[in-house]
Amino acid sequence: MKPTAVRGEWIAPESTIRKPAGEQATSKASFGKALTDALKDVNQLQFEADQAIRNLEVGKTGSLHEAMIALEKADISFRAMMQVRNKILDAYQEIMRMQV
Amino acid sequence: MDFFTSFRICGSGLEAQRAKMDVVVSNLANVNTTKTPEGGPYKRKVIVLTAEALNESFDSKLRDALKKVHVESVVEEQEGLRQVYDPNHPHANEQGFVAYPNVNVVSEMADMITASRAYEASVTAFDATKNMALKTLDIGK
Repeated sequence: MKPTAVRGEWIAPESTIRKPAGEQATSKASFGKALTDALKDVNQLQFEADQAIRNLEVGKTGSLHEAMIALEKADISFRAMMQVRNKILDAYQEIMRMQV
Repeated sequence: MDFFTSFRICGSGLEAQRAKMDVVVSNLANVNTTKTPEGGPYKRKVIVLTAEALNESFDSKLRDALKKVHVESVVEEQEGLRQVYDPNHPHANEQGFVAYPNVNVVSEMADMITASRAYEASVTAFDATKNMALKTLDIGK
């Protein structure tokens, strides 16, 4: 199975951030990077769903249920991505609200 | 995401039941076909399904246990051709008998209902899995 946003890339930056020594090497592992990685995987699934629908409409090999399953996969991964985004934005806004 | 494993198994079930439906429809459509390109009347087709290992789960216990459905082949049933006396039929033999397919409409209808109910079951399983996934996303809300 293709690793999705929630499984693979999402956990990696968090674990690298905790390391104080390799600060320069892991400086790229930011919230932005995490979100971009998650977006890429979700985008891939959206693309697959798009492709499935297109195959169905041109009458190629694709079958109806395969297209529907691809759509549902895209839908669920998109919702998962939205939850990740909400969490990140919540954390960001919490920080911005901090009194100094 | 692990939910996608269930989706794939559901997909294989849908595929298999759709294939079964195709075979049943073919049998029903050819219930009176007396000649085929291979010669002789149409013979009833039966679909053969096998379980196939699903090597995608990350859980080692599940990896061996989970199986998806695979359409192995479609075989022809040879016995039970109906012989009908009709000397004027172009496909009649020297004795005036025409061989009609061994398709029983009633049992085909039963097969059709089985296939469509099994298909519905797969769809329901899919929906239930999807709802589980969506419920998971509600954690912490």
